[in-house]
Amino acid sequence: MIDHGLLVQMLIGALLGISVYLPLATGQLSLATPAFYAVGGTLAALLSTRWAALGARVDGSFPLPSFLLELVLGGALAGLLALLVGRLVLRLQGIYLAIATIALVEIVRVAILNLPFTGGAVGIFGIPQPFPTAAGYLPPALALLLLAGWVCQRLEVMALGRAMAAVREDELAARCMGIATTRVKLSAFVLSAVLAGSTGALAAHFLNTWNARQGSFDTAVTMLAFVILGGSRSWLGPVLGGLLLTALPELLRPVGDVRLVLFGLVILLGPALFPQGLVTPALLERLGRWGEGSRP
Amino acid sequence: MPQRPAPWPAGSVATAYHPPSLAGSLTSSPATTLPARPSWRERGALRLSALLAAGVGALALLGQQAEPAARAVPPADAPNGALTIGAVIALTGNANLYGQDQRVGLSLARQWAQSRPRQPGEPPLRPLHFQLQDGGSDEATAIAGFNLLIRQGVLALIGPTLSQQAFAADPIAQRRGVPVVAPSNTARGIPQIGSFISRVSAQSSVIAPLSISEALRRDPRIRRVAVFYSQDDAFSTSETAIFQRTLRARGLTPVSVQRTQLADNDFQIPITAALQADPQLVVISIQAVGGGNLVRQLRELGYRGPIVVGNGMNTANIYPICQRWCDGILIAQAYSPELDTPINRRFRELLRRSSPDHAPSQITAQAFTAYQVLFEAVQRLQRRGGLQSVSLGQARKALMAELLAGTYDTPLGPIRFTPDGELVQGRFYVAEVRMDPGGRSGRFALVRETASGDGAQ
Amino acid sequence: MIDAVLQTLLNGAASGGVYALVALGYTLVFSVLGVINFALGALFSLGGYVTYLLMGGRISANGALPGWGLPLGLPFTPALLLAALLTGLASLLVERLAFAPLRRRGAEPLLYLITSLGAGLVLVNLLQMLMGAEGYAFPATALAGLPDALQVAGARIRSVQVLLLAVCTAAVIALTLWLERSRSGRALKAVAEDATTARLLGIDSEAMLRLAFLLSGALAGLGGGLIGVSISLPGPYMGIGYGLKGLAVLVLGGLGSVPGAIAGGLLMGLAEALVPADASGWRDALAFAILFLVLLLRPRGLLGRRQVEKV
Repeated sequence: MIDHGLLVQMLIGALLGISVYLPLATGQLSLATPAFYAVGGTLAALLSTRWAALGARVDGSFPLPSFLLELVLGGALAGLLALLVGRLVLRLQGIYLAIATIALVEIVRVAILNLPFTGGAVGIFGIPQPFPTAAGYLPPALALLLLAGWVCQRLEVMALGRAMAAVREDELAARCMGIATTRVKLSAFVLSAVLAGSTGALAAHFLNTWNARQGSFDTAVTMLAFVILGGSRSWLGPVLGGLLLTALPELLRPVGDVRLVLFGLVILLGPALFPQGLVTPALLERLGRWGEGSRP
Repeated sequence: MPQRPAPWPAGSVATAYHPPSLAGSLTSSPATTLPARPSWRERGALRLSALLAAGVGALALLGQQAEPAARAVPPADAPNGALTIGAVIALTGNANLYGQDQRVGLSLARQWAQSRPRQPGEPPLRPLHFQLQDGGSDEATAIAGFNLLIRQGVLALIGPTLSQQAFAADPIAQRRGVPVVAPSNTARGIPQIGSFISRVSAQSSVIAPLSISEALRRDPRIRRVAVFYSQDDAFSTSETAIFQRTLRARGLTPVSVQRTQLADNDFQIPITAALQADPQLVVISIQAVGGGNLVRQLRELGYRGPIVVGNGMNTANIYPICQRWCDGILIAQAYSPELDTPINRRFRELLRRSSPDHAPSQITAQAFTAYQVLFEAVQRLQRRGGLQSVSLGQARKALMAELLAGTYDTPLGPIRFTPDGELVQGRFYVAEVRMDPGGRSGRFALVRETASGDGAQ
Repeated sequence: MIDAVLQTLLNGAASGGVYALVALGYTLVFSVLGVINFALGALFSLGGYVTYLLMGGRISANGALPGWGLPLGLPFTPALLLAALLTGLASLLVERLAFAPLRRRGAEPLLYLITSLGAGLVLVNLLQMLMGAEGYAFPATALAGLPDALQVAGARIRSVQVLLLAVCTAAVIALTLWLERSRSGRALKAVAEDATTARLLGIDSEAMLRLAFLLSGALAGLGGGLIGVSISLPGPYMGIGYGLKGLAVLVLGGLGSVPGAIAGGLLMGLAEALVPADASGWRDALAFAILFLVLLLRPRGLLGRRQVEKV
C-alpha cells in the first residue's frame, strides 16, 4: 500500500510540520516555512547541478558526503535568512505575522521564478542522486526527523523551551518575568527555518527536479493543516499530522476524482472533531501513565 | 431602570467570542493549563515517538516488495497473458484541463486497438490491460503515480501531463527500466532524461517558427513585433524563446516583451504598455484561457494587426473565450483535424461517436498517438517472439528498442523516433481560426502543410 | 504624457475595485468574529459559475452533466444579483459547517483558518467535478449594446472594466451607507465594536454574525460574476488568486477597517499598474512587497486602529 517513495514524502511532511510547529510553540503563527524550504531546495539543486567540486557524476549519481553537506548548507542559508527577516517580522502579532510570512513566501517564489540562474518556470532538473532507490532516502529523512524530535523533546526541559512555553501562554507576563521574548521568538523562528532548509535540500534530490512552485501559499496551508490536525501542543502532533495527511490523498486514490473533495472534508471537519488535534497533552499523559496502575 | 440583557442561548457567540484584539494572540488557548506533571507527559511523548518510529519501520518493511521486473512474462494465450500499459495524467489540480482531453484520447486509442480489423493470417494479438492513475498537477503526485504503477508491474507508462512533472517522475522510470511515452511534454531535455524516455509531442522549436513565417509571408513589411508570454509556465517560456529567436533570425527585435502569470486573465495593463509601442504583429505564448482573454482584450483595446499564438492555445477551448475576436489568429500545429488520412478519419469518427461534444484537439490526438505507438510496438514485438520466455524487465527493455525502431502512421501524420527517444514528425500545419457568424464556435482552418526537412518517410 | 498617467489611473482603479470588493468581504466577517474566512476565494469562483448558469449557460464536455443547463436565461443584471444572493447563502452554509461547530466549543481562532480553508478546498473541487476545468464565457447577451472600449481623453479602457468599476463603487457606497444609516447596519457595527455592549443593547449578535457572512459571501459572488463577464471563467481556481490579493489588501488597509479595505484595494491596483513592462514578472511580488513594507512601518496596516494590549 505505502511504498518507500511515499514513505519518504510522509517523512518530509512530518519534518515540515515540525518546522511550522516551532514558531507556534512560542505563540507565533508563522507560515514562512515554504519560503525556507524553497531556499534550501534551490540551493541544493544549484550546488549539485552547477558545482562540479561536489562530485556529481555523468551517470547521475552523487557522493553521499556532498549530499550531507548540502543538507547542512541548505539549513544554514535558510537560518541566516530567518535571522535577517525574523528581526523585522517578529515585531508583528497574530494574523499580521501570518500574512507577512505569506507575503515572504510569495516574494521568494517570484524571486526564484525571475532570477536568471534558477531555470525560470521549468526550474532545475537532472538533480543527481545520492541513492539508487527511494529507500535510500529513508535513513537520512528518518535521521533528520529523529534529530528534530530530540531537539524538541530536549527543549521541554531546557531554559529556552520553558521560555518558549511562557511566551506562548502570555507574552506580556513572560516579559515581566524577565524573559527576553524577542530573542526567544527569534530562536524558534531560526530553528524552524534551519529545519525547513535542510528538508528542502533533501526534497530537491528526492524529487529529481526543483522549481518555484515547490514553495507556495498552497504548501503553507497544507503544512499548517499538519500541525492543526496533528495537535499543536506537542512536537509529536505535527509529526503525526504530517505523516497521515501526506499519505491520505494517496490512500484515497481508489475513490477516483473525488479524492480531493474527501481530503478537503477531513480538513474541514477534523478540527471540529479534534479541536486540540490528535496528539493532546492529556493523551500523552495517559500514555505516560499507562501500565502504572492507578498510582498517583 | 437598566435594560435586561437578552437571554443568551448556550453555545452562542458570547462564550466563544473573540474580539479583533484577540487576533493579536491568535494561539492563546483557553482550554489548556500549564503542564502539571511534565514527567508523565515526557514519558508519554517518548512512548508515542517509539510507537511512531515502529510504525514507520513497519511501513518500510511492508513497502519492501518483490521487484516485479524479475517476474516472467506469461505466454499470450495464458489466462493471465495480458500485459498492462499504465498512464499517469493530471485529473486533479489546474492541469486537469489537459488531463481530461488526454483521458479522452487514451480511451479512443483503446477502442481503436480493440476494433482494429485483423489481417488474414495475423497471429493472435498480445492482450493489453490499461491502468489510469491521477498524476495531479504537482511533482509529488506524479512521482507517486509512477511508483504505484511500476510496482504493479506495468510494461510501459504514458505521462505525465506537465514537463515539470516529467523532470520529477521520468528519472524514476528510467532507473527502474520502464519505457515512458510522454504525450504532452514539450520542454527541452525530456528525452535526454534517459534511454527509456520518449515523447510524441513535438518540441516548440520545430513548430513555432512556422506560424511566424506565415505571418511574415502575408505581410513582409512587418517590422514592429510585440511579444507576450506567461512567465511561470514551462511550456510558454520555452516556446517564446523559440518565437523570439525566429524573429531575431528574420532581423526583427521585439518592440515590447510583456511577461504575464499563468493565473492572469486581465491584461489591460500589459496590453496598454505594448500598444504604446505600436506593434504590427503580436506573438503570444500563453495557455488556452488566458490566451483567449488576451486576444479578446487586444482586439477590444483597438489592436487590428495580425496575431500569432502558440501551441497552448491549440484547443477548441479558446472559442468560447475570445469568441468573434479569435477570428484570423494564426497558429502552428502538430496536429490538424483536417488531415485526410485513414487513421485520422478513424480517430475523428471514434471521437464523434463517444464524445460528440469534444472538438478534435492536438492534446487528445497526441494522447491517442502515445497509446497507439505502444500498442503497435508491443504487437510487433509479440509477432517477432520477443515476449517469449523473458522476464518483465527484459520485456520492457525489448519494448523500448522496438518502440524506437518503428515507424508509425498516426493521427498526427507519419512519425518515428530518434535513437534517444525524440520525436521525428513528418508533417506540421499552420492554421487560421475561422469563427462561425454567431461567434460561439469555430474551427482551425488549415492554411499550410509543411513537410519537415527531417521527415519520417 | 497626461494620457499615460490617465491610462495608468484607469487601469489601476479597475483592478483595484475588485480587490477592494474581496477585501470588504473579509472585513465584514473579521470585524464581527475576529477571524479570516479563507473560503472567500472559493465563494468568488462560485459566484462566477452561478451567474453563468443563471444566464442559461450549459455545462461542457468535461463536467459531470455534459450539456446540462438551467432552464432559464436571465439577463445579466438579475443573474448577477441572484448569483450574489445565492453565493451569500453558500457563505452561510460555510459558516454553519466550518465556523459554527468551533464557536460552540470555544476553539482557538487558529482552527478557523484551517476549517475555512478546508471548506474552500471542498468547494473548488466540487466546482471542478461539476463544471470541469475548462474556461466558460458568458452568453453574448451579457454586454449586448456596449461598445468594446471607451475613449477617455486619449486613454482607452474596455467598457466592461468601466462597468466593473461602477458596480464596485456602487456596492462599496451602498455597503457604507447601510452600515452608517440603517438599523441593522448600525447593529452590525455595534457588535463589531463591542459585543458585550451590543448584547446589553439587546442586539442578537448571532443573527448579526450570520448577516455578516451572508453579505461577505454576496460581495464575493458579485465580484466573481463581474470578473466572469470581464475575463470569462478561467476555471474553478479563478477565485483563489483574487482571494490571496484581497487578503493582502485587507491587511494593507488594516484589518476590520472599511475605508482601509477600499483605500488598500485602490492602492494595490495602482501600484500594479505602475510596474514597468520590463519588470512585469515581478508584479505579483510587488503587492506582497508593499504589504511587507507597510506592515514593518505600521504593524496594524494603513488605517488599522492601534489596540491597547490587554494584560
